[in-house]
Amino acid sequence: MAEEVYSDLMREIKSGRFVWTGELEPAKDIGEAIEAARELKGLVTACNVTDNPQSFAAINSLAAAYKIQQETGMECIYQLRCADRNRLALCSDVMAAGILGLKNILALTGDYVSLGDTPRAKPVYDLDSTTLTRMIHTLVHEGKDISGTEIPNPPKLHVGAAAGPGVDPLEPELYKMKRKALAGAEFFQTQVVYLPEVLDRFFKGVKELNIETPILVGIFPAKSYGAAKFFDEYVTGVDVPPDFLKELEATKQIKDKEKRKEEVDRVNIEYFTGFLEHLKDTPAVGCHIMAVGYPRIIPELKKVME
Amino acid sequence: MIAQEQKPIEEILGYLDGKRKIVAVGCGGCATFYHTGDKKAVKEMAERLRKEGKEVTEVILPLGVSACEIDMSSKFLEKNRKAIEDADAVLVMSCGDGVQVVCEYIDNKIGVTKPVVPANDALGLVGGGPTKFKETCQSCGQCELGKTAGICPLTSCGKGLMNGPCGGVREDGKCEVDPEKDCAWVKIYERMEKMGELDKFTEMRAPHAWSKAKRPRLFTIEEPVKPVRTILASLPSYLTLLGGPEYEMLMLF
Repeated sequence: MAEEVYSDLMREIKSGRFVWTGELEPAKDIGEAIEAARELKGLVTACNVTDNPQSFAAINSLAAAYKIQQETGMECIYQLRCADRNRLALCSDVMAAGILGLKNILALTGDYVSLGDTPRAKPVYDLDSTTLTRMIHTLVHEGKDISGTEIPNPPKLHVGAAAGPGVDPLEPELYKMKRKALAGAEFFQTQVVYLPEVLDRFFKGVKELNIETPILVGIFPAKSYGAAKFFDEYVTGVDVPPDFLKELEATKQIKDKEKRKEEVDRVNIEYFTGFLEHLKDTPAVGCHIMAVGYPRIIPELKKVME
Repeated sequence: MIAQEQKPIEEILGYLDGKRKIVAVGCGGCATFYHTGDKKAVKEMAERLRKEGKEVTEVILPLGVSACEIDMSSKFLEKNRKAIEDADAVLVMSCGDGVQVVCEYIDNKIGVTKPVVPANDALGLVGGGPTKFKETCQSCGQCELGKTAGICPLTSCGKGLMNGPCGGVREDGKCEVDPEKDCAWVKIYERMEKMGELDKFTEMRAPHAWSKAKRPRLFTIEEPVKPVRTILASLPSYLTLLGGPEYEMLMLF
């Protein structure tokens, strides 16, 4: 793979230090995401900027990532999904990302349109996450667009891909990861994992298939019981441990807001300390923290890995 | 075959509102298999329309005569030329192909321009039977089955991915889009694994070439099939299968 390093994210990955990335959702207004980016500054190396998450129309992730990066200095990982754009649109967006100074792209298939608020939309999926990864790789490293036409100033950025450690059956997912790695993925960010045994099973498979691409494991410290419950119920391949859920549920009884916050933090820190200790024994190069709106937990988690 | 179901009668009656003389054209092809254009369906439709005070001419196409194969179906339309010329509307009980082929014939060969309306909704190219059918091919014009263990992901994967599975595959190997359906890419994986071809699974398949799906597609063959002669020529093949359900099919001819 490419030796050149364009982003802080890739620099950190190559440094061997444990890497932290966060997540920002532009949603229907950019204000909150910009505020969140400011809060995350210094806590994480880079932040993903989501692209129509769960197929709800949100502010375009390319524009949002650019604006967040410009206004806050937070390096962005621009998420790009195949659900809404054909190969021409994807290619032009990646070239645009290049001139806007974005340095990382996460190539995604994208949730099906019927999951969101616009279920009558015509889904696209002209490319998939693998062919999108290859398209970006070819743009950057061969200076050629989707049609094979040479472009004078290729974008300088890194392409990453997603992986699902908790997917069942896991084998097709692992072989697909291998395919994405061969297509040019330079890093992986995984779906949320809670259970250490899921990590073990996943990394065993990764090793067996000789997937050497750096992997950041997705974690979701839950700011509330509701947030954790949502993941457990609605996100495929994610099981939240019942004890963790129960402890969070118990915090709902605490009347005092500050005390409740403290207790939620305690539950998360206790759980994730164990989890991160376990993560130290895996080849994971970092963590992708998807806890939107919960930055105060990050310093505590980082202490575990220091 | 093209799967189909009859439209709600209210919708059909809406198209025929204010029109008294109706010609109801059946179909002896796919629509006969799905009971949407066979003799019984045409007769039932005619009865229903008569109850609405309409005057109905039935044009029944026998098994083997598809509405869309105009060389054959036109013979039955010609027999009813007068009724068509006098009609206020023509109701075609086939897929959309049949409706449009009949419409074009009436325009160009019978020489009258009439409202031609559909009785059915076509639901895709399907295979299987006798009672359960599955859409497995979308006639994309560039078959990919040689790269995908004989399962078409463009049709069978909810997202039509050439390189799946997506991250949404459900715990039991079901589809993110519809939990009732299998994830096509899990199935492709399983077949490749059994055949010892997992190396092909990790190969990236290029984005599908949609250039041959440029619509509408036109197609020409050098020599036309002569339906009656073809049926007769195939009889010996059917005779080799005597005794099974194929025998019953033979009897239909």
